Amino acid sequence: MLAKTISCGLDGVNGYPVEVEAFISNGMISFEIVGLPSAAVRESRDRIRAAISVSGYEFPFGKVTVNLAPADIKKEGTGFELAIAIALLAAKQPDQFKGLESTMLLGELSLQGKLMPIRGALAMVITAAEHGVKQVILPKHNAGECECISGIEIIPAQSLKEAYEHLTGDASVAPHQHVPYEHLLRDYESASDLKRVKGQAIARKALEVAAAGGHNMLMVGIPGSGKTMLARCLPSILPPLTYEEALETTLIHSSAGELKADARLMTERPFRSPHHNTSMPAMIGGGMRAKPGEVSLSHNGVLFLDELPEFQRATLEALRQPLEDGFVNIVRVNGQNRYQSNCMFVAGMNPCPCGNLGSKHKQCRCSPSEINRYLGKISGPLLDRIDIQVEMDSVSIDEIESTQEQESSAVVQQRVLKARQLQQKRYEQYGYFSNAQLDQRGVDKFCVMEDSAKKLLHQAVERFHISMRTYTRIRKVARTIADLAGHECIGAQDIAQAIQYRNVDGRYWR
Amino acid sequence: MMLTDKQKGLIWLSAAEVSADRVQKLEQTYQSIEGIWESFGQQGGPKFQQGTQQKLAVLHSKSAIEDLCARLDKLNVRLLFQEDDEYPEQLKDISEPPYLLYYAGRIDCLAQPSIGIVGTRRASQYGRQMAESIAKGVAKAGICVVSGLAHGIDAAAHHGALAADGTTIGVLGSGINVPYPSDHRTLLRKIAGGNGLIISEYPLDAEPAGFHFPYRNRIISGLSMGVVFVEGPIKSGGMHTVNAALVQGREVFAVPGAIGTLGSEGPHAILREGARIITCAQDLLDDLGYSLEEKPYEDNQDDEELTGVQKKIVDALKVESMNIEELSASTLENTDQLISELGILEILGRVTREAGNRFTLPISKGR
Repeated sequence: MLAKTISCGLDGVNGYPVEVEAFISNGMISFEIVGLPSAAVRESRDRIRAAISVSGYEFPFGKVTVNLAPADIKKEGTGFELAIAIALLAAKQPDQFKGLESTMLLGELSLQGKLMPIRGALAMVITAAEHGVKQVILPKHNAGECECISGIEIIPAQSLKEAYEHLTGDASVAPHQHVPYEHLLRDYESASDLKRVKGQAIARKALEVAAAGGHNMLMVGIPGSGKTMLARCLPSILPPLTYEEALETTLIHSSAGELKADARLMTERPFRSPHHNTSMPAMIGGGMRAKPGEVSLSHNGVLFLDELPEFQRATLEALRQPLEDGFVNIVRVNGQNRYQSNCMFVAGMNPCPCGNLGSKHKQCRCSPSEINRYLGKISGPLLDRIDIQVEMDSVSIDEIESTQEQESSAVVQQRVLKARQLQQKRYEQYGYFSNAQLDQRGVDKFCVMEDSAKKLLHQAVERFHISMRTYTRIRKVARTIADLAGHECIGAQDIAQAIQYRNVDGRYWR
Repeated sequence: MMLTDKQKGLIWLSAAEVSADRVQKLEQTYQSIEGIWESFGQQGGPKFQQGTQQKLAVLHSKSAIEDLCARLDKLNVRLLFQEDDEYPEQLKDISEPPYLLYYAGRIDCLAQPSIGIVGTRRASQYGRQMAESIAKGVAKAGICVVSGLAHGIDAAAHHGALAADGTTIGVLGSGINVPYPSDHRTLLRKIAGGNGLIISEYPLDAEPAGFHFPYRNRIISGLSMGVVFVEGPIKSGGMHTVNAALVQGREVFAVPGAIGTLGSEGPHAILREGARIITCAQDLLDDLGYSLEEKPYEDNQDDEELTGVQKKIVDALKVESMNIEELSASTLENTDQLISELGILEILGRVTREAGNRFTLPISKGR
């Protein structure tokens, strides 16, 4: 007596279909799962046995063998349990089930026969749709994240019994309503809004420029000057996630098990602010199952590192490659996983260990060598990747108490959108997406300056002893400022503004 | 170079860091330096602290001294004894002149008239700017700037002199081979390799012990016609140098600061006691009877070049330093425009930016 069901495994952020075969024969009573199951999969035997009995069905009598094909890939996780349970029941009574060959079964079982949520449901549903599966039965809490996938029916089940009765036709479960992505986007409202940020005109403007050109940003300021608050507003002024971006982002979060129960497709750009004791594997990705790290979890969003010098140096250095390339490759003996990591990097730090250097009201207690040691933790190559650097002062009580509302995120977002569209049009045939990505050749080609701007920049180079690298950075940032203002060529005003966002390294890092 | 027995004896004493006043006393007791050398280790010979005694015993041979000299030669560090022509007369006047100086760089700096510029290590931006601009001004007039190579005011003074292509002398409180602070090695090289001089009374590898520095300060004031105290609290190294200068009969000058800040207390205290007030390099040069062919800083005449908004900004900043919000409230211009205009003013050198994005007028423009 043989039966076959379809389930799905997870490799990185991608699913692969798994055929679950169950065979019941006469012989010694036993229950074996073959096909390279991991320890967690082998453990499911006891859960499956209990779930079947508690749900009121009879566990097959005899020698039971379950095979997970393809048999040469190691099967991780608990998502196969529903498929195994149904395969066992179907092997016993093959005539009762309908449409097993076009149904994917996903879910972990509890001893009570309940369906528990799994990691990576979205990737598995996408795999199902690609392989011509008509319906997917999955845990109810996972239905939300998959609702935007079209061309496939999603059956949210709460228990083994519901799934069983749906498949036998005794009591069919209503499919989960398909929701177009645009509808999700309509209801979206960001939690942080620029209109609640008081003062800090220069830093606000810098944030807008960073968002418009995709530039990485560093904020240096005394504690309480609002670095974190400002950074949190960044997702709200970036362009809304496109459907593809939302899929990519949700896939990573889903496969990392970071989605909450009943989460829907992510419409807000992720904002990750890992603590400064975060280890290198947690930042970049890794561990035994090669999980995505913080840099990938902030894909299409913002990675914010507060207290930058407190991070381990090795962790920061390891960030350089993913920030540059937009992806991380994690190689293990038995394969490699590639996670995207196309994020904006925003960092905050104090000007010195005590935090009061340059404050108008408080005296700094640090010795010069302490300050040097503190700043020395951030390497030059990392600083080179940060186009915009801005200093922040404390906000005065008048500014805090003022009821005058500042410009809201929505207004700034419109300007950012326009600037981004300009860039996309300009770089269509050249393989760049934003000004931040321009290399030396791109800078020479696209960052064309008016004569007055050239003269001003030349003066600036002489006055501030600007290095070649900083010079290129200023031109890139000025290009973005010109895009925001709608200038074809970079004008003197644009250069003058860009100058305001470069100076931190000159002052602190000599 | 052939060394006399007396010089060898001095090198021997210096290598064990025997202080100048101790050497003076010993010389009286044993009639000569050679006398100290000969009676060492014998009955009735000089007694030192245990560590010093051991060091002296180890080095108490001609060959050990020759090895020391060979090492100095290799590192390009030269010796200056009191009997040498280059040893400055004014330094011999002080009560405990160093009996041996180690130096690197241009020895003719010692022949120039010099001014000491001193102050706190934890200097404000104002203090650093003042130190730098005063040092620039006097260096242009051909005066050598003497300071202690420390962070803050000292470093600003040295940098100022170097920027004006002038001469400067750095007096170390440690051996030349282990300069303190260690991150000033580049500054040290710039001075010794260029138009300057690095000197120390401590042997090549002497650690920067805390008590060296106040003792070293007598050399800074001793080399100078006068000492300018730029910034520092009442209890500070700068104050110590000022006291040494007074004992040695040198002129004392002070740069005023804002009342209520810690760094202004020292200069203000000595101003009340009768120190001369210095607000720019020209003040100092006037007091010393020097005149400059070239003015040490640019004049304030190019206001016509500025646009209306830029003029407004400069006028607002003449009252006090401001951040962008305060400027916006004061000039009634929107912040976006101010950001650009401030950038242009900064490039033109009409406005400087302090930590925390506060804007102020540069010192040289006369606030």
